[in-house]
Amino acid sequence: MRASSSQAQTSAAVRLYFAHERAILGTLMVLLVLIAWEGLERGWWADALRPLLGDSAERFKLKPIFISSPTLIAAAAFRMFFVTGEIWRDLAWSSAGYVLGLGLAIVIGVPFGLAGGWYRRLSYAVEPFLAALNATPQVAFLPLIVIWVGTGLGQRILIIFLLAVLPLAINAHAAVRTTDPRLIKVAGSFGASDWRLFRTIILPSSIPFLLAGLRLAVGRGMIGVVVGEIYGSAAGLGAMINQAGARFQTDKVFVGVLTIVAAGVILVEIVQRVERRVDIWRTPA
Amino acid sequence: MAIPAHLELSAHRERRRARLVRLYLEHERVAIAGGTLLAVLLVWEALGASGLVDPLFISSPTRVARAAWLLSHDRDFWTDLQVSATEFMLGYAGALAVAIPLGLAVGLSKRLQYLIGPFVDTLNAVPRVTLLPLIIIWFGIGIWSKIVVVFLGAVIPVLINTQSGVKTSEARFIRVARSFSASKLKIFSSIILPGTVPFIFTGAKYGAGRALLGVVVGELYASTAGLGHLIAEAGNTFQTDIVFVGALLFMAAGLITVALLDALERRFERWRPQPR
Repeated sequence: MRASSSQAQTSAAVRLYFAHERAILGTLMVLLVLIAWEGLERGWWADALRPLLGDSAERFKLKPIFISSPTLIAAAAFRMFFVTGEIWRDLAWSSAGYVLGLGLAIVIGVPFGLAGGWYRRLSYAVEPFLAALNATPQVAFLPLIVIWVGTGLGQRILIIFLLAVLPLAINAHAAVRTTDPRLIKVAGSFGASDWRLFRTIILPSSIPFLLAGLRLAVGRGMIGVVVGEIYGSAAGLGAMINQAGARFQTDKVFVGVLTIVAAGVILVEIVQRVERRVDIWRTPA
Repeated sequence: MAIPAHLELSAHRERRRARLVRLYLEHERVAIAGGTLLAVLLVWEALGASGLVDPLFISSPTRVARAAWLLSHDRDFWTDLQVSATEFMLGYAGALAVAIPLGLAVGLSKRLQYLIGPFVDTLNAVPRVTLLPLIIIWFGIGIWSKIVVVFLGAVIPVLINTQSGVKTSEARFIRVARSFSASKLKIFSSIILPGTVPFIFTGAKYGAGRALLGVVVGELYASTAGLGHLIAEAGNTFQTDIVFVGALLFMAAGLITVALLDALERRFERWRPQPR
């Protein structure tokens, strides 16, 4: 059976479509939404619908302070990144708090979780606190933190720490608990010291759990960046978003939000890359 | 031959001690947990009472209890509680009502997933509380802005989990059902849906935490009433005990929600045969 050449052409086009269906449909939808959005702000839809609806078509034109528009946001982003450069200072300020808070969470949460997994009694002692703290929205402690350390860098570090430390500690705890007990028994019967046991068995088998915890902590810490700057921080992305929101500079708010989205995506991607790399040596079960 | 009295006595003591040890070991977990909790409360109280640390900073268990008692006689407090509960329930219920059907649909239809995937991924990458300034511009500082942020917080994890639940349905079951020419509806209702329930619950539990976070942050950020408003005000006026009461109430809300969802999940999973 032979297909005619035009049929072959269409089927090639269809094949091409199916091969990239995901990218094509996704891009189309995003474009559609962006155009609809732009049109709302510029009044395209109001103009188009006026003959049909008369004056009530004005409802389809929204004020820029209300929704902004993709082009306004792009212009604002260009201005903030490359003309005034104001956003770099906010980025640096937020990153400082974020890195210190997350670092503190790793330095405290991971050893603490590992110890809790290893020493049964320690685990009994701290389990209720961890469970209760994990069920609480930790930002409820923000007013307390402000009372304790004021509204400076310390407050932001503490809230990021508090948000990020639980997934790290809980995952480290679970990691030790799920270590293959046969391996530990074998090493024990060959007289391995606790330290050696820890270094050669528990730590390597914990790494995937720790990285999964880190992935969660990275996301949680982002909440801390924004929430920690609610209370009049001098600079920072969260503070910038809040101030812009209070002044109805909607385009700047969007730029800030999108910057945080980008940072979040990049950080999670980095952790995932590391996760994949670390998993290479592991023999598939 | 009779056993000398003093030996018998010591054996008796030994047995009693062994029984005590056994009793302790059986309940070691509870004993240690309770003991630690008690110790923490005592140290906290002692620190507050001794004047080593200003009670303004750390309050103390008795002060917190007193504040809770006083608050429970305050009508404004109950209004705050009611406002927060309304925000949580409406936003969370809305999120479940949207996310579960949408998640099922997205899991079943590849095309639908391609269409809305980019938006879900973007929203998932950003802590939704970041959107608060926008949401407040759009919905004001009243109850609706919190309902929206609660909704946004909870909808994404439920949606993503439901979708991946559908995706991981047992392919063998579906093949078997197909070869017995089961209808699509039948396959959906008797294979895909039951298989997805645990995933939905995982998402719902995660979403509940996100929803509570939305209530707190929304109310801390800008509000006229609610528990978050209460603790923000108390924090500003250094009423540390009231802040603790508020934080504990949020803790209780989190624990209760998760416990309720666990109970519900067990009910839903009762039909499933136990492994082995």
